[in-house]
Amino acid sequence: MDTTYESIRVSSKANASPSILIAIVYIFKKELTQFLRYPSWFVSMLIWPVLFPFGYVFTAKALSGPASSGINTFSALTGTTDYVSYMIIGTTMWMWVNWMLWGFGSSLRREQVLGTLESNWLCPIPKTTLLFGYSFFQLLYSFVFMGISLIEFMLFYNFRFTGNPLLALLIIVASIPSIYGIGFIFASIIMWVKEANSMVFLVRGVITVFCGITYPLAILPNWMKGVSSFIPVTYSIRSLRAVISAGARIGDVRTDIMILLLFGVILMTLGILAFNYTQKKVKETGSLGHY
Amino acid sequence: MSHYAIEVQDLKKEFAIKKKNVSFWKRRKENKSFVAVNDISFNVNKGEIFGFLGPNGAGKTTTIKMISTLLRPTCGKILINGLDVQKNSMEILKNLGTVLAGERSIYWKLTGRENLKYFAAMNGITGKKAKEKIDYLLKRFSLDKRADETVEKYSTGMKQRIALAKALVADPPIVILDEPTSGLDPQSARNLREIILEFKEEGRTILLTTHYMEEADQLSDRIAIIDHGEIIALDTPKNLKRSLNKSNTITFELNRWNDVIEKELQQIKSIENINSYFDENNRKWEVKVQINNGNETINNLITTITNSNIKINNFKFEEPTLEDVFINLTGKSLRE
Amino acid sequence: MKWQKLKFYMTTIWAITIKDIKIFFRYPINAIFRIVEPIMWITPVYFLAKSFQIGGENIGFKLFSGTSDYMAFLIIGSIIASFVSAILWGMGFSLKNEMDSGVLESNWLTPVPLLVQMIGRSIFSVIITLINSLIVAFLVWLIFGFEIGNGIVSAVITLFPMLIALYGIGFGIASLVLITNNANNVIDITNYLLNSISGNRFPVEILPRVILAVSLALPLTYGFDSVRGILLETNTLLPLYQEQLILVLFMFVGTAIGYFILNKVEKYCKTIGNIGHY
Repeated sequence: MDTTYESIRVSSKANASPSILIAIVYIFKKELTQFLRYPSWFVSMLIWPVLFPFGYVFTAKALSGPASSGINTFSALTGTTDYVSYMIIGTTMWMWVNWMLWGFGSSLRREQVLGTLESNWLCPIPKTTLLFGYSFFQLLYSFVFMGISLIEFMLFYNFRFTGNPLLALLIIVASIPSIYGIGFIFASIIMWVKEANSMVFLVRGVITVFCGITYPLAILPNWMKGVSSFIPVTYSIRSLRAVISAGARIGDVRTDIMILLLFGVILMTLGILAFNYTQKKVKETGSLGHY
Repeated sequence: MSHYAIEVQDLKKEFAIKKKNVSFWKRRKENKSFVAVNDISFNVNKGEIFGFLGPNGAGKTTTIKMISTLLRPTCGKILINGLDVQKNSMEILKNLGTVLAGERSIYWKLTGRENLKYFAAMNGITGKKAKEKIDYLLKRFSLDKRADETVEKYSTGMKQRIALAKALVADPPIVILDEPTSGLDPQSARNLREIILEFKEEGRTILLTTHYMEEADQLSDRIAIIDHGEIIALDTPKNLKRSLNKSNTITFELNRWNDVIEKELQQIKSIENINSYFDENNRKWEVKVQINNGNETINNLITTITNSNIKINNFKFEEPTLEDVFINLTGKSLRE
Repeated sequence: MKWQKLKFYMTTIWAITIKDIKIFFRYPINAIFRIVEPIMWITPVYFLAKSFQIGGENIGFKLFSGTSDYMAFLIIGSIIASFVSAILWGMGFSLKNEMDSGVLESNWLTPVPLLVQMIGRSIFSVIITLINSLIVAFLVWLIFGFEIGNGIVSAVITLFPMLIALYGIGFGIASLVLITNNANNVIDITNYLLNSISGNRFPVEILPRVILAVSLALPLTYGFDSVRGILLETNTLLPLYQEQLILVLFMFVGTAIGYFILNKVEKYCKTIGNIGHY
């Protein structure tokens, strides 16, 4: 390859605007390369799906007593005696949100700490492109994670589908906008709150406490039920359980899916607004590069 | 089209500082503000190297960040190629190649080539065009041999060069460099300065900040000296030094000396002051002569001395430096 | 001479403690989260237990453990578990943090042996963990309510050797963290795994055979078990005195292992030269 000095001379004409789609693809590629180069995350990807439900599954086993003598209340409340699937579905949704917060939600903050955020800011692309690039990578990651989880659940916990797996997938897809909407808001906030760890604890704490990852919502006191009805994850978990364990059909979970999509629209909009606001604020205070 | 590359008018940046006095029990917040850049104006001509010289914390980086759209000014106006930075940031960014201070502006966990590929795409350059450009840049900055190693393995000089290559990937007509040689060893710093001069030859406009006066002196066509957020002088290096009106000093080492010659020398009009002193240890005379007009006097001086049969063992000519200019303007040293 | 050296070490330990106190209070949010997190983790399990109750009692559970008060069982487990995680996070994470911010090297440049430095670190950690656990226990009692019998003193005495052992292991893990690039992950997994398998939330008898074997090999299991035995009069795996003996043995073995790993890693780091590197 022979590029002469002349051909590189400064052109008077500026380059064409970069395509947003191409930028997203390249952000995706960059994240993937970095991820594959330092595969220590892969270990946790394998371990956590088995490890995290472990405590809950065996707690449930202990509570149900020898020969499941104590399971009556539980089955009356949930409509199933299969407490293993019940725990697994809740904890998987929890892990999804947890990964999203650590991986995607903290991505901008991480670049800020590393110092590469400003370099990206200096590229002539709308800054929201960055958010979408990251979320697509994280989405792929989450799907691989769920795939691995599913296999491990079948192997270690004897997990089986009662209902239609495709309907379960539909619910998961319908949850994406709301979960990433939360992620957009989260990513924006921690860029100036700068306490990524504590913020992750806070958000996932709310989900741990309110969304019924291990218990039927019916058991909650009324005020807690009120709170949980404002969190989209609650509906994802509820409808997934209905489909997977109880074999519910699309007609049974239509309302939940609609609610999830509505949450998606609201949270995505809020997320983009929050990001634009942060962008403005950061430009004013100059805290883009600091940490 | 404006004939300036960068125009800065009455630029000001005020930061609100929330000073947290954190004790666990009580959190007092004092709201103060800090003026980082105070009402500065300057223009950068197309094709020149414009130096921003000042001590650390003078407001250089803040100014640069405002020019490169990363910071919004409190008030004032910045035009790049005649376009307002506030209104056309996307258009502006296409024309700017910015290298910020520090070595952290690139992905350490990607290779040099991957970094360039990524930033090329983020500037709208992909495919064959990108590959050619990247190969060229890697070669030009002598990074081609290690292009496929991750950046974390690079030396500081290489990291700085890859950051420079990154800034150049979209072939911007204006290049902004924040403390480009800071932290580099002398050899790498020299290489980098050569590269900067090449940029100029290619017709790019360069705005660079530095707190090394030699660097500013050597590279810049014009220099703005900035301190406490204000430009206190702006001119060519030569004019800045001339403006000092300071005399040059010539130091002679002579084998002998006496009052007669001293008187004779004092006849020469442009000589301001003569100081002589006998160095006991080396048994020689050291004579410092201050002159206020350059080269003509030197000839005169040397002729007079040699005519009196005095042997000149050595002599040293000292010009005022930008450091002197700075001291003269602010009453303190640049390095303080 | 010896005395002077000791005095110097004491001064160092004091200095480290003061530094840790200062840093701790500089991040008040972290301090709060150390209290909130354990409570937060209790909630889903609390409601889980509720959804198995018949007439307000966990009948099924009683058949396994000997008590129907699952909440008390869980809370004792959570408090001990919070000790374990406080030690792991406190030791490992602070070391990693210092390494990332480059302070670690300046600490290693002082003429104080690493072991003394680690002891210095642990002292504040013990105090803060103790206070932390007490607050957690109090809040949990306030929110969820539970009853424990007499025998708190003997429970504490039982736990004491285990805590020392954990610090020993903590040194080891902390130093292992130095040579991995993903501290969060290592600590998180170790912590969760250790606590779950040792039965922080359930009696380990219900575990499948293979995992039970692992569980019985962990001294931590006997820590959970014996304290519950004392406070709740649950069925213990072994006679109480045997479990206590295991814990005392563990204290010696644990600290020795920790010290051994620490030395190994220090040597390794100095050969490789990756202390300041990240």
